[in-house]
Amino acid sequence: MLLELNNATRLYGTVIGVNDISLSLENGAHGLLGPNGAGKSTLLNLITGQLSPTLGSVRVLGLQPRSSHELLRRIGFLPGSEGMYADVSAIEWVAYLTRLQGFNAGDAKRLAVQAMERVQLTDHMHRKILSFSRGMRQRTRLAQAIAHEPEFLILDEPFSGLDPIARHSMTTLLQHWIAEGRSLLVSSHVLYEIESLTRSFMLLSGGRLLASGTAGDIHTLLTDVPSEVRMRVDKPRLMAAELIREELVDSVQITDDGELKITTTMSNQLSRFLGQAVTEDRYLVTEVRAADDSLQDVFNSLMKIHRGGK
Amino acid sequence: MNTLQRIPAVFFFEWRRTLTVPRLAWMVALMAFPPLLLMLIRSTARSEPPIEVAAILVYVLAPCVACMMGIFLWATPALSSELEGRSWVYLAVRPHGPLSVLFGKYLVAISWSIPVGLVSATLGVIALGVVDPIRLIVVQCALVVLSCVAYSAVFLLIGVIAPKRAMVAGILYAVIFEVTLALVPAAVNLLTVQYRLRCLLVRWMDMDSAMVERSEVLSAYFGDESAAWHVGVLLTMTIGYLTLAAGLLRYREFTAASETDI
Repeated sequence: MLLELNNATRLYGTVIGVNDISLSLENGAHGLLGPNGAGKSTLLNLITGQLSPTLGSVRVLGLQPRSSHELLRRIGFLPGSEGMYADVSAIEWVAYLTRLQGFNAGDAKRLAVQAMERVQLTDHMHRKILSFSRGMRQRTRLAQAIAHEPEFLILDEPFSGLDPIARHSMTTLLQHWIAEGRSLLVSSHVLYEIESLTRSFMLLSGGRLLASGTAGDIHTLLTDVPSEVRMRVDKPRLMAAELIREELVDSVQITDDGELKITTTMSNQLSRFLGQAVTEDRYLVTEVRAADDSLQDVFNSLMKIHRGGK
Repeated sequence: MNTLQRIPAVFFFEWRRTLTVPRLAWMVALMAFPPLLLMLIRSTARSEPPIEVAAILVYVLAPCVACMMGIFLWATPALSSELEGRSWVYLAVRPHGPLSVLFGKYLVAISWSIPVGLVSATLGVIALGVVDPIRLIVVQCALVVLSCVAYSAVFLLIGVIAPKRAMVAGILYAVIFEVTLALVPAAVNLLTVQYRLRCLLVRWMDMDSAMVERSEVLSAYFGDESAAWHVGVLLTMTIGYLTLAAGLLRYREFTAASETDI
């Protein structure tokens, strides 16, 4: 078992970081999704042993993270914050941290060089970190996490602040890591960043685990959740009345600037209705916008389900 | 590989990081100010000072002020600098990482401040123009070593106890305990490093017998235990402070994360 949480709860005084999470993960790649402040970093701190749960238990690779040096030898961690020493070279920093993993100076240097090769920074590894771009720093941070060849790699927002090229390069590197059969847990607040790495997600919000499974599982969970549609139409009041009469909407609102805002659980019927209305010239529809399919909306919907609403 | 084997890695890495112009400038300044001040004092006097006066002057400026300041700057922020710079997390997720860092930085603090103290004490004695300086230099150098070893442990512990206000807590400790309470002739001064160093100076320079016999008050300032006792107490205090710091580091949770990082 890669990861096992039983009613894990972490409080910071009166603030809940992680709230009663229970889950089991097998070896493989997993994504941890959640908006900012969802509890992802707290959960990763529990997994890496920097924090201990206030209630419940956490086991990683069968070991208790807080008290296990053996576990720390077997995991690699890329934290969410930068925190690198700007005044040393990248290779010095990675070799130093690899040495602290328990390797002698020679082996640590060799492994650090290999890691720098892997993140494609060999040409720059003797430069001081302060001269690095954001992408290069991120790759250096990844190098320190993988240099000692851990079996379980834990990454907190690895794509944060990266440009598209650096993002692609990071994705490719992690895909290779997964292809080698190693385990990975990667956190992000952006769904598409993780979709390219794994189909196994955990959704976290407000410190709670809202859902877990594949993207399909989560989609299924959301089928009964009303989706929001906004339209610009020449006769909004008339259309609103017709939509209510046809029982196609859960709610209707006409905004101050004349926009028609509706929520519906019958998206397919609504699109058929609109198509027909436009082709029959009953309405002049100039804009139709579904609320974007961002993760935040998924979270909002799941939070509604979680709270017993629809 | 355990904590002991990782300590040299931290020590050498941190030492390399200290070799910067600002830090070396601090080193030179701390080395230079006691002898310069003593040179000024000597230039205003018509003859060389009595050995007791010279011993006290050098003691106050080198093992006390120069060493304490150097250590304060090195040992107190050992943990807080990592937490503020958010680099602690990289060290905390290594096997035996926190303890290796604690002891590695302890060694850096004493190996950085001992040369500063030795140079400033030696030059200070020479600057005063003492007739027979060898004994005074040897005593001052011994006090420098003990001062650095003990104060490093004290300030490291303060940094671990109050990492968010380490420097303020360090200054408060120095002013309240080592400057003020160390001069109070009561049981409380027995807890200070300053008291032990002062007693050792008096013993090793044979300044005590006549003075202490004349006054019970002076006995509270200089004690009546042997030098070996005071050295033993200092080393025990050092080991105790380091053990306490290690225990706190092992069992307390130190994350750079704030509530906004949840």
